[in-house]
Order: sequence, then structure tokens, then C-alpha cells
Amino acid sequence: MKGRQILDTSPPMLPESGSEFLIELHGVTHRYGRMTALRDVTLQIPPGRIGLLGPNGAGKSTLLKILMGLIVPTQGRGRILQHDLIAGRGTGNWRLRQQIGFMPEADALVPGMKGVEYVALAGELVGMPRRQAQRRAHEILTYLELEDARYRKLEEYSTGMKQRLKLAQALVHDPPVLLLDEPTSALDPAGRSAMLRLLLQMGRDFGKSLLLSTHLLGDVEQVCERVVILFSGEVRGQGAVRELCSRRHDRYRLQIQGDARAFLEELRQEGVEITSENGRGEIRVVVPRDWQTRNFFLLADHHDVLIRGMIRDDESLEELFYRMVNLP
Amino acid sequence: MNAPSSPVILLGYRPWRGALRGPWYGMWAIARSSLFLLLRRKMFWALYGVSAMVFLLFFYGQYLHSWLQTQIPDEPIRLGSGMVGATVKPKELIDIFRKILHLDGSGYTFRNFIKFESQIVMIVLALAGAVLIGNDFRFGSLPFYLSKPLHRWHYLGGKFLAVGILINLMITLPAVLLFVEYGFIDSWDYYWDSIHLLVGIVIFGALITIVLGLLLLATATWLRRTMPIIMVWTTLFVFSGGLSDLLVISFRLDSRWRLIDIWNNLYLVGNWCLQMDPATIPTPFQPRYSEAAAVLVVVCLACFAYLNRRLQAVEVA
Repeated sequence: MKGRQILDTSPPMLPESGSEFLIELHGVTHRYGRMTALRDVTLQIPPGRIGLLGPNGAGKSTLLKILMGLIVPTQGRGRILQHDLIAGRGTGNWRLRQQIGFMPEADALVPGMKGVEYVALAGELVGMPRRQAQRRAHEILTYLELEDARYRKLEEYSTGMKQRLKLAQALVHDPPVLLLDEPTSALDPAGRSAMLRLLLQMGRDFGKSLLLSTHLLGDVEQVCERVVILFSGEVRGQGAVRELCSRRHDRYRLQIQGDARAFLEELRQEGVEITSENGRGEIRVVVPRDWQTRNFFLLADHHDVLIRGMIRDDESLEELFYRMVNLP
Repeated sequence: MNAPSSPVILLGYRPWRGALRGPWYGMWAIARSSLFLLLRRKMFWALYGVSAMVFLLFFYGQYLHSWLQTQIPDEPIRLGSGMVGATVKPKELIDIFRKILHLDGSGYTFRNFIKFESQIVMIVLALAGAVLIGNDFRFGSLPFYLSKPLHRWHYLGGKFLAVGILINLMITLPAVLLFVEYGFIDSWDYYWDSIHLLVGIVIFGALITIVLGLLLLATATWLRRTMPIIMVWTTLFVFSGGLSDLLVISFRLDSRWRLIDIWNNLYLVGNWCLQMDPATIPTPFQPRYSEAAAVLVVVCLACFAYLNRRLQAVEVA
């Protein structure tokens, strides 16, 4: 029976039918004394790869704690994975945390312990029987290419290995949801790239829902389908990354041919902002509010410039973020 | 499935489906892993060895006394000759030794044994505090535990369980073995006649576990590193004893000044558990058992309150 449990390849558990959302928060406010960490947060997020973006002090950690059931919001209500965050507080929401794998930002390693013991202990703490936790620890460390280091003491692990080990302890009980707090912090570019690809695979190929809390826009861009932008405890934007970035109708990408200097100069005089020019005829512009696209062609004709292509340009996530949080 | 594009290959990832158990099992996992960490330190094995030697001294001491009593005749024997010779009764000689060493299965035996073992346990605990709990605070391991389906008290319960197992393996269990051994040596009636001693041993062991366990968790949470913990424990259990002696015996202050010595309080309440007469306590001018018990309750409550406050301040995410 135990063997069958291990070999079971059914898809991970996701929210039951009846609710399409992984996370539902309604008017959630949380205060620490006089300081308001979260203000009237309302979110409805379906399962998938979700980025939680915000600078330090935006309220990301408080939101993570609420989602893990570690603290109860001062006001509002919410559900995650069908667990009511308010109703579950009497039991410490431990059933909710059995369905969540949390990868903390800090090292959170137990000195003196070996890698495989650490991951097996994580499994036992979640509630796995000891032998299954040990077997699963070996499996998961092998999957994450730490099999050679599993009998080494945690103090001897490199930063990249520690990050993978923290992921292993979050994955050991195969939770449907992973909460990842700055998973690429302190990693070198190669390690960061590998970690992001790994997370993408976990979400895309193994059906895990990821909530990636970070202030690194690139991480969200590479991994996430959806994003929640937090700033000063408020949700400044949420939705599918692609949709949010394409909502702007004032951006264009032009392919031009000919001497563009005078053309670009006149565009500037007309209030058009040139955001990039690659020197090979491709320019990206932000136009003023009452701009009409035929103006491009009129000005181009005036300066003997040929516009070979014109498409609406998406906003980058970085631009979107800074616009949402009203920062220059 | 897409071909792996990174050095990390997940093609072999397999889901796990099984029933998860409640947080109480997590406590046992915490206790077991903490004990393993302790057993891995070679330094502690020297102290376990000393503890085992004390136990063996009592164990074989009891046996040897009993054996000698059955082997040696009642008749007096002459040692030496002439002016330097003397007549001694071997049985009386054995009785004198027996009274001095108290290896007779009485309350004295267990009181002395627990006292000696407790002193070793206190050294072990002072050295083990950092490994057991201090490092979790020092190296930020707490978010690892608290992000799991455990309440903060489960974590603390697991650590307390580890301390409790250690203390009881070194004190209560050997004392119970000595009790059982003496019954075998003496007679079956011993078990029934001295059942109060067995109860006393268990309660005394539980008392030491609770007081020393809570004190260790509180001091290790507060100080985190081994050296400061040792210094505080030395103050609590060595200097406070010397100071109380000085105040009560030399300065002739009230005997309640002895209450500043936590070990003395434990020892007094342990005497009550073993139903020992207060007059048999070697150190003079002792406070009442109830006063010592009240101080221990206050110490435990203070440790409990501190631990509660300290754990609530831990940030998980």
C-alpha cells in the first residue's frame, strides 16, 4: 500500500470544484499596533504561477503569513485552498499548512544536521510517517541533483545548494501550493537562472501553484503568469502579466527606414516620448493622449522617412510596476 | 513533457499521496532529531560515561553489601597480634559502611543517587542548551519549524520532550532500576513496603525534568551560545548555593535566604517526595518544603511566560 502511495501519479490536489480561485481575500486589513501593514486587500487568484511583487515594506511578508494561516487579519476574510483563514484560527490552521510548501528567504537550516535528515524532518513535521518521509527525502534530493551532497552537514552546503535544499524541504510532501519567499536571493546568475527554470517546470509540468514573493521583476517575468503588485500595504494592480502589460494604448513600436534624426526630433516636439532606439530602425515610443496614429505617417512623409511597420507595444513589467506604484 | 532545459532534471519527479498525521507527531520528530544532534557530540559521551559510573557504583555497591552480609560470619575475628591487634565484628563493620554510604534501598540511597546524577545532568544541560534550542534562534532555524503545520507550543513541546528524555534517562530510569534491584536482593516485600519510594523517585524525576527543562529552554532561548549559558547556570546552581550558605550560616540571616538556591529548593522538594525527615538534610538551617515548592512554581511560571513572549516574537515569513 505504501509503495502504491509513492508511485501514484495522479495530479496534485487543486481547489475543489465550486471555487475556481486558489486565493480569495476580501477587504483584508492587518495592523501591527498603529502601523497598518495591509490595507483593504481584495484578491481573487486562480491556481497557477503567481508573482507577488513589491518593494521592502510593501506588506508581502504579512500577506504570506496570512496566507499560511500564521496570523489572522485584523479585518476582512479570506480563503486559500478552500480553507477559511478566520474559521481555522482555532486549530492554528495546521491543516492548511499541510497543503502548503513554504520556502523561506532566510537560510532556516538546522546546524549539525545532514541534508537528507533535514528534508526527512521537514516531511515528518508536516505529518508524513517517518519511513515515507525518509524515502521521499532521498527521492526529492535526487530530483534536485543533491544526491551526492545529501549526507553532508548543512553548514558545508554552498548558497545554491542551500536554496535547492530549502526547495526540497518545501516539496517533500508534494504540496499543491508552494509559497516562495525570494527564492533567488544571493544566487549567482547561473544559479538564479537554474532556480527559475526549476520553478517554471514545477508550475508548468507538475501542476503546482506557485506564489513567488520577490522584489526582482525579472523573476516574475520569467516564471509567473499572473502578478499582484503590492505597495504600502495596498494592492496596486493584479492580473495576468501579459494582459496587464498590454493594457496601455499609448505605446507603439515602429520600424522605419531613412534618416530618422529630423523625424524623431519632430516627434519629440509633438510630445511623443522616444523610449528606445536601437540604431537599426526600430524605435519604441509613448504618445500623448490625443495622438492619432496617422500623425506618424504624416511626419514621416514630411521627412522622407518610410514607416515599414507599426505595432502596439507592450509595457515591460518594470514599467508597469513603477507606473502602478507611482514611482519615476 | 518538454525536454529539460536546465541542469536540474525533474523528469523523475513523482507525486506523493498519503495520509498526513496531526501536529503531535511533529513534536516527537523534533525531540528525536534534537536528541540525535546531542548524541553526535563526542564531548557529551564523557559525561554520559561519568553518569553511568555513578549508577554502576550504586548498583554494584548495593549488591556487594548485600552479598557481604550473607557471606561474613557473626563471630568476631582477631586482626593483628599483641598490642597492635584488635578484635572486630565483620558484620558490624559492614553495617557501619552501609550507614555511611546508605546503600540500603532507603530514601537516603535514592536521594543521594539523584543528587549525584543531577549534578552531572546540570553540566550536560548547560553544554547542550545551545545545540538543543539556542542554535535555532541563533541561526534562524525557527521559520523552518514554524512554517510547518505546528503551533509554537508544539515546537517548544518537542524540545522539552528531548530535554525530558535526556534527564529521565540519566536520573529517573537508573533510580527506578536501583529500586528494582534492591527488591531482588532484599525480598519481594520491599516493593510493597517501599512503594512510596518508587512514587517519590518518579515525582522527584518529574520535578527535576520540569524545572531544569523550562530553565534550560528559557536560558538557551535568551542567551543562545554555550558559554553564556554555562555562566548563567553556574550562577544559578553553584554561586547561589555558596551565597545562600554565606548569608544563612556566616551572616546568620533568615533561613529563607536559602530559597535563592534553585538546586537546594529542588533538593528540599525531592526530600518531601521521598518522605524524608527534614532533620536528615545535611545542610543546616533550611526553609520549609512548601516555601521551596512555591519558589519553584514561580521560577517555572517566569520561564513559561518568557518563552511564550520570546516565541511569539519570532517572524516566520
